[in-house]
This record gives sequence, C-alpha cells and structure tokens, in this order.
Amino acid sequence: MKYLKAGNIRLFWVTTFVYLFLIFNSLQFLQASDSHAAAQGGEIDVAGIMIHHVTDTHDWHFFDLPGEGHYEAISIDLPWLIYDNRTGLSVYPTTEDLLHSGKYILEHGKVAPISFEVTSINQLAHHVEEDFKNAGGKNIELDSLYWVNLFAREHYVLVQDHNPNIPPRLYKLDMESTVLDLSLTKTSLQMVLVGLAMILVFISVAGYYSRRKGQGPKGLQSFVEPVIVFIRDQIAIPHLGEKKYARFLPYLLTLFFFIWFSNLFGLTPLNSNIAGNISVTLALAILTFIITLFSASRSFWGHVFWFPGVPLPVKFLMMPVEIVGMFTKPFALTVRLFANIAAGHLMLLALIGLIFILGKGGQSVVGGLSISPLTLAFGLFIYCLEFLVAVVQAYVFTLLTAVFIGQAMADHSHDHAEDHSSTDHALAGGSHH
Amino acid sequence: MELVLPQFGLFFWSVILFLSIFLVLNKFAWPKIIQGIQEREKSIEHALQTAELARDEMKKLEASNSKLLEEARLERDQVIKEARAIGEKIVNEAKEKASLEVAHMTSTARMQIEAEKMAAITELKNEVGKLSISIAEKILRRELENPGEQEAVVGRLVNEMNLN
Repeated sequence: MKYLKAGNIRLFWVTTFVYLFLIFNSLQFLQASDSHAAAQGGEIDVAGIMIHHVTDTHDWHFFDLPGEGHYEAISIDLPWLIYDNRTGLSVYPTTEDLLHSGKYILEHGKVAPISFEVTSINQLAHHVEEDFKNAGGKNIELDSLYWVNLFAREHYVLVQDHNPNIPPRLYKLDMESTVLDLSLTKTSLQMVLVGLAMILVFISVAGYYSRRKGQGPKGLQSFVEPVIVFIRDQIAIPHLGEKKYARFLPYLLTLFFFIWFSNLFGLTPLNSNIAGNISVTLALAILTFIITLFSASRSFWGHVFWFPGVPLPVKFLMMPVEIVGMFTKPFALTVRLFANIAAGHLMLLALIGLIFILGKGGQSVVGGLSISPLTLAFGLFIYCLEFLVAVVQAYVFTLLTAVFIGQAMADHSHDHAEDHSSTDHALAGGSHH
Repeated sequence: MELVLPQFGLFFWSVILFLSIFLVLNKFAWPKIIQGIQEREKSIEHALQTAELARDEMKKLEASNSKLLEEARLERDQVIKEARAIGEKIVNEAKEKASLEVAHMTSTARMQIEAEKMAAITELKNEVGKLSISIAEKILRRELENPGEQEAVVGRLVNEMNLN
C-alpha cells in the first residue's frame, strides 16, 4: 500500500464506486428484463424498461428478490392522493386500495375515473347504444359502425393485468368527472429528500457564518462559498445589475443548488432522476417566467405590444412574434434541462441494455460477455460525464433565468438595436448584457 | 410520449416543494450566508486598505528617518571639522607660546650670562689692577732700594710722561 499515493487510493475508491453502481444498475436491469421477458414471452423490451426507469412512478422500487417462479419486488408503495369532482380529495395508501375502490382504473400509470365494470356483451351493446344516442349519434343502423367503434373506444377501456392468466376486464369510463392525480410520487419524494438535504446543508453553513464571524471559511462552508460567490459575481451581478441583483439572488441560489443537488441525487444508486421529468423542469421554468413578468419594466411591455422605432404595419407584425418569443423562453428552459438529464440516464441505460439485447436475455452468454467491456468503458465515461452535466445544466438554467429577468427589467428605450442582438445571443446560450 | 407530457400532480408538487425549499432557505440560510460573505469581504477590503495606509505611513517615516540621518551626518562632519580646527588652533597657540617662552628664556639667559660676564670681567679687571699695583709696588720697591736708581726711574718716568 505504501507504493500507492493518496490520490491513487482515492481514484481506486471512486472507480470502485462507479463500477459498483453500474453493476447495481445492471442487476436492476436484469431483474426488470427478466420479469418483462416473463410477461412478454421471452422478448426483452429494452426501450420500455429504459422509459420506465426515467419516468415518474407511484412506488419506490429498490430491487427484486427471486421468489417462487417470479421476482418479488422490494419497493415502497406510495399513497395516491386524488382529487375527484364527485368525491373531493381522497387518499388511497396503496395502488391496490385505489383499484379496489372501484372508482378508478390505471391506464398506462394514469388514473382514469370509471362508472362501472362491464360484465356481459349484452350490457355493453345496450350501454353503447344508449350513450351513442345521448352523445348526438342518430341511429346505429344508419351511422357507420366505424364511428360507433371509435366512440366505444373513447368511452370504454379494456384493462389487461401483467399476469396473462388473469382475463382482461372492461370498464365504462366516467366522462363527466374530472380527476386530478396529486399523489406524492417517487420523484416528488426525491424532491422532498433533496429539499431536506439542502435545508440541512445551508442552515448548517449559515451557522458557520454566525459562529465564525470574520474568520475564513471552513469545512462545508469552504465548499459552498465559492459557488455562491460565483453565482453572485458571474451570474447575478452582470445580468441583473449592481443595484437590483440582491432581490433575485436567493431565488437564483435556490434554483442552482436545487437543480445541482437533484442531478447529483439522481446519480446515486436507489435514487431516481428529478430534472429528467418534464413536469419538474416545467414548474421551474414557469416560476422563472412569473418572476420575469412581475419584474418586467414598462419598456419591456412596450417592446412586446408596440415595438418602437418601426413603421406601423411592422408593429402589428412584431406583436405576435414578440408574444411568441415571450413563451419560447420558458419552453426552452423546460426542454433543455429535461432533455439533458433524461438523455444522460437513457444513455447509461441503453449501454447496459446492450448487454441484454446481445445476450438475448441470458440465452447467449457469449453475446452478453462480448459487449460488457464496451458497456463498462462507455458507461464509466457517461457516468462521469453526467457529474459534469449535473453542474453545467444547473449553471445554464440559473444563468438564463438571470438573463431573462435582466432583459425584462432593462429599460431599453434608448438602445433597442443593440438590445435585440443580445436577446438572440441569450437564447443561443447566454451572453453578457 | 409519456416521457414528454407533463403530469399535473408532479408539476403541482414541484412548485410546492421548490417554493417551500426557497422559503425556508430564504428565511434561515441565504440572508445569513450572503451577509456573512459580504461582511468578510468588507473586512478583508478594510484590512487591505489599512495595510496600504500603514505602508504609506512607513514609507513616509522611512523618508523622514533618512533625512534625519543625513542631517545628523552633516552635523557630525561639521562638529569634527570644527573640533579639528580648534585643536589645530590650540596646538598652534601652544607652539607659539612655547617658542615665545623659549625666546624669552634664552634672552634672559643671555642677559644673565652677559651680566655675569661683565661682573667677571670687572672682577678680573679689579684683580688685574690690584695685581698690577702690587707688582708695580714690588717692582718699585726693588728699584727704589738705592737712590740712584730711584732717580733714574723718576727721570725715565718723567720722560715718558713728557712724551705722552
């Protein structure tokens, strides 16, 4: 050991950790592919597993243990919180409880309200005829059966269990009621964890400042402080101005660390990605959008609705362009962050999936083994790259937020020519104002 | 498709959770941290400024010190020069005095010697006079023992006197 330097030992541990993570992921994948293969008669749906891995779920799945003939999932069922205009807000502790209530079915993981279960073909025919007439259809005899078919598809849903031995059930959808799924899903729970971690870290860091007044940074403080100073000096002050930046700095800091911590959490085993969900990035982008609108100056609205310095017809031409431009900014923010994070996770999963495609789900050991070195090498590379992406995307989102707020606040009644070129640059990736 | 379609529940919780994180941190963490950083920066800036001032002060002090030193050196030179002059003067004066004294002493000695000499000469003269008288007496007495000769002498003397 004495021939190893401290740096080498650290590198050894990091590499070991990364490989353990990759192996763990592969095991999860193996189990998932195994149960999927069982359900689909030997075919592995790699794309399905990948998408399932990055999307939100109502349970926190850790791993599977081999049971009798199938794999037993070790997971936590997360409660369903559902708002229904028929019954108001109700909670179902598990997915089973939800389905047993008889009010809902799950359609691709989404809750759909039902009126009743169709038990016989006569009942179905009767109801379809009734509903079709009520909905404005004139006569089944006269109208094309094609339309009735379409209509029935919209109003009735066939539910097939994962277990092919259980026969499918047909339900009539309740078209009158609206249902909102407000459940605290896996991703929401991850966000709660990220929030707790952030609160723990930053309140303890804040404690350092009051305990060690006037002294140099120490421990966690010395890790976090340069980042905070960077956000203040490189993002907030250049784009929001020396006078107004202080109002937005807490938001920018929270945004940056929330995205960064979320991404880092997503890279550790047992946790899922957060910013790879479009709903999350949309929420962040909309918050930025609202702040932008509320801090917009008079001249910003002037530019949107009545573009200065151009002939009258062009003013009318510019109005829709500017209004669309206003909405493209949050849209770009949403998609950029979501796509980057989801793509990273999908890449890693695809590389691991290669083993299972070439290994034909365990039938071809040679095929699986031959691609494994490539998977491990590229997997390691992508995994390390993801740590960089984690911080870069947090930086980009925060920077663009500052740029957009800065542009909206700026009084550009004097220098519109210069100002619009900077708008284009900002959309292309951010520039100094 | 599911991947790119926002879900209301998750959107709702994202907003709620993000806002709660923001509110908690904005209340308990950010103000302290931002203020702490600012205060430290200010104190560092202040310390730097003070150091700069102290350095300037030091420079000024150094300049005045060297000026004082220069003055002291000049004064020392002056003092040495003066001392040397005074020394020389004293030595010269002493020399002069000494030579005067010497001259005086020599002249006194000479005068004394002269006086002694004169006294000795006088005494010698007196002695010679007395001696010559006594000699003369003796001679006269011998010559005057017989009357003939007395007459011859007197006659000679008278002659001699006449000649004179």
